[in-house]
Amino acid sequence: MSEPKDIKFNIYNPIITYEHRAAYDMIVSHLQEIFPICNQGKCKALEVSDDPQKQKQINDLMEKVEFFSNSLITITKVFFDQLYRAKETSSQSISQSTAMIKIDMIERNLLERTCDVRWWALEKAFWQCITLADDQKKRSKGKAGAKAASATSTKALQEAVELACTRLEDIRNSYTLYRDLVIADIDGTIIANSNGDRRSEVLGMNVSDEEWFRKALETKDGTEYFVQDVSRSKLEDIDSLIYSTALRANGDEQGEAIGAMGVLFDFQGESQIILNDYLPKDEDGQTLQGWFSFFTNQTGKVICSSDESFVPSGEIADLPRNHRKLSNPGEVIVSTGTVCGNRSLIVSHKSEGFDEYKGLDWTSHLVLPESAMFERSLLNEDYGISPQELMNSKLIPDTNKQTYREIQRNKGDIQLISINGIILATDLGKAGTSFIPIFDQITTTGNSTTGKMEELLSEMSSDMLEQNLKALENFSKQAIDLIDRNLFERAADVRWWSTDHAFWEALQEGTDEKFEQASKRLGIINASYTMYRDLVIADSNGRIVANSKSENRDKLKRMNVSEQSWFRQGMQISRSVQFGVQDVCDSELENEETSLIYCGGILEDGQREGKVLGVLGILFDWENLVCPILEGCLPRIKGKVVEGGAAFYVNDERKVIATTDPENFKIGQVVNLPGENLNLDAGESASGIFSANERKYIIGSSKTQGYREYQGLGWTAHVVRPID
Amino acid sequence: MLYSTFYLGETQMAVPIPCILEIGRSFKFHRVRGAPEVIDGLINLRGKVVTIINLGLAFEEEKVLAGDESRIFIFKNNSELSEVADSDVEIETAPDNIGIHVDRISDVIRVENEELQAVPSNMAHPFYKHVVRRGDSFTIILEPSKILNLHENQDLLS
Repeated sequence: MSEPKDIKFNIYNPIITYEHRAAYDMIVSHLQEIFPICNQGKCKALEVSDDPQKQKQINDLMEKVEFFSNSLITITKVFFDQLYRAKETSSQSISQSTAMIKIDMIERNLLERTCDVRWWALEKAFWQCITLADDQKKRSKGKAGAKAASATSTKALQEAVELACTRLEDIRNSYTLYRDLVIADIDGTIIANSNGDRRSEVLGMNVSDEEWFRKALETKDGTEYFVQDVSRSKLEDIDSLIYSTALRANGDEQGEAIGAMGVLFDFQGESQIILNDYLPKDEDGQTLQGWFSFFTNQTGKVICSSDESFVPSGEIADLPRNHRKLSNPGEVIVSTGTVCGNRSLIVSHKSEGFDEYKGLDWTSHLVLPESAMFERSLLNEDYGISPQELMNSKLIPDTNKQTYREIQRNKGDIQLISINGIILATDLGKAGTSFIPIFDQITTTGNSTTGKMEELLSEMSSDMLEQNLKALENFSKQAIDLIDRNLFERAADVRWWSTDHAFWEALQEGTDEKFEQASKRLGIINASYTMYRDLVIADSNGRIVANSKSENRDKLKRMNVSEQSWFRQGMQISRSVQFGVQDVCDSELENEETSLIYCGGILEDGQREGKVLGVLGILFDWENLVCPILEGCLPRIKGKVVEGGAAFYVNDERKVIATTDPENFKIGQVVNLPGENLNLDAGESASGIFSANERKYIIGSSKTQGYREYQGLGWTAHVVRPID
Repeated sequence: MLYSTFYLGETQMAVPIPCILEIGRSFKFHRVRGAPEVIDGLINLRGKVVTIINLGLAFEEEKVLAGDESRIFIFKNNSELSEVADSDVEIETAPDNIGIHVDRISDVIRVENEELQAVPSNMAHPFYKHVVRRGDSFTIILEPSKILNLHENQDLLS
């Protein structure tokens, strides 16, 4: 082996643990002891034999021992470097994906907000209210007849404001992610809001000088929106993230702007959930010292932090300059530096938006103590895999495997030389017996040093296993969180849509014309989303009376769904804050192997509580919804999915309901997984090793904990990768 | 006496150190057309031509495959054996230098004569000479001459 070059983790690097430095000292000093022994052997050869051939043979053997000892000393130097590099690479890769998961979570959430605001701005109660307010204003400015008209119009406006506030409250009750929702007239006066606690302060306030309002009025049509990055607004006492769009005359997407709607997203509350996830906690649930997670905006200012006392919002982050301003979407910077007085690993991942949502140029930062990368894992579970098997597995980098082989080879060579030495010594008869302790010593030293190195390699390989298991756990948690968050949104959608006037009016009046209008409305909703196969309304007898897709209409009209679970659940709903779910199964309605249906009760007069007139069912385009989520959670190396890696969801009966690998983990199959991965409580994660399809896999699993008031459906996400 | 131990499969065996000429890691085998399968081939050891017997096949078990751990034990011939200094042991090998190919090498052990036990009759084999028990493990001491003079065992050569 040539002299080592480019050693990054020299044994005197402060990051090297005391135990490892002691092991290095022990190995090197033992190997150094071999040289005087060899010299002793060479001298003894001259003493005990006159035969020059025998002398040369012994001399040659001693030189070979010296050669291999030297080689082991060299290996020892690179060995610790490789050990630490392997841990560093693996740890950095996990940290990168964690930083990425966090920004991805928030971006996906914000994409939903852009859809929400555009859709809600079309609500009749809002544009009618603004129209009346505008009329009133014009009248009050007029001279003649203004007084006479004011009594009736004021009452009408009051009623309209009340209705607008009620509808805004309905939205806020369905979508619990908003601190407030407001509508303002064309002059910027707030006419209605959703948050009753702040109503007296907010109504009548003028926001014409606020960017979210001005930009909303500048939107060209109903497809456009504006987002005001986290900043101070007079509407709240804390920094706000406001999405806005114009309210248009007659609710027409192409109509003239008559006012604006602003929705104040609970950014801090939502970010706190995301930022505190994936951070290691102590027994009291406190984040470990030196671990921080935070988002910065495009100016480098912290907009939300997992630890406001060390990394306060509103200030420029205490980070190396290159981490503050990343140039390109999706760019990642990983480096070590000092953060809050600690030597830390810093990972920064700039947002690349999600789908058509471009994002706000935010960056997710994850900071952890540098030493955490090299800590021995606390878990010391027996996964039933031998160190040898682990060392040869795909989890161990090739360079480490090569070193392992080299150590084995040197160990074998030293052993062989020693035995051949003993053979030679035996040939010399009694005179040769003095050689035997020398060769014994060489064998012992060779064994103890290489044994120690093997032990360290075995430690490294079990650390690598733990890190990889942790990574899979993170991916599985990401997979279950993403689907929960998505379904939370859908649960909010179905509750809100169920209150739409077109639907309860159609069921109350029961005319073809009204059903046609309801179908048209369903069509508009479905056109705004990509995740639904169809939206249907069934009357109280289970007869489908309206749906979003005209091509399905004839087939559905002949159908009675009164025996189907989603319909029966929907008919039990008497409050607009409730919804029902028909878990993924074979669907009679859709004739699909995997179908997921959410439902909401359509209540009389669109009341918040009352008699059920019928049921709104929303039919997910399950495969298209779920597969991109699972594919995004697959284990990757340098951006490429690892060979044989797979992700799948199982329902509470442990049957696969969605999979990225339909060949090995089939829909409907109950996969034989370790008990720890199957018997999880809500929100728990676990990892392990199992065999399937004649391969050995490592697995990370996470069971749903729901999201906000959405309870989840008892599903578990599993992410696996083969190691042989 | 000192013995060099090795493994054939999971069985630990040993041969007396004085009868060994050298132990090697890897040699290039020269296959000999028409030679019995039990012969791995010939090697050139510093000018000496040595026949290598595959010990696995000699025991009519799995063939020893050349690998990182497999080793070649080369035995002294009878004439070299007689030149071992101060030797008071009576061991025979073969008229020629012959080697055996084994799965992996293990330690050198010192065995006193009183430790050598007869091979139990139910596991008797022409190659077995004694059995040594150390704790819970057994080491079978082989009779090199029996292995090295395979021509006396026509079955293996057929």
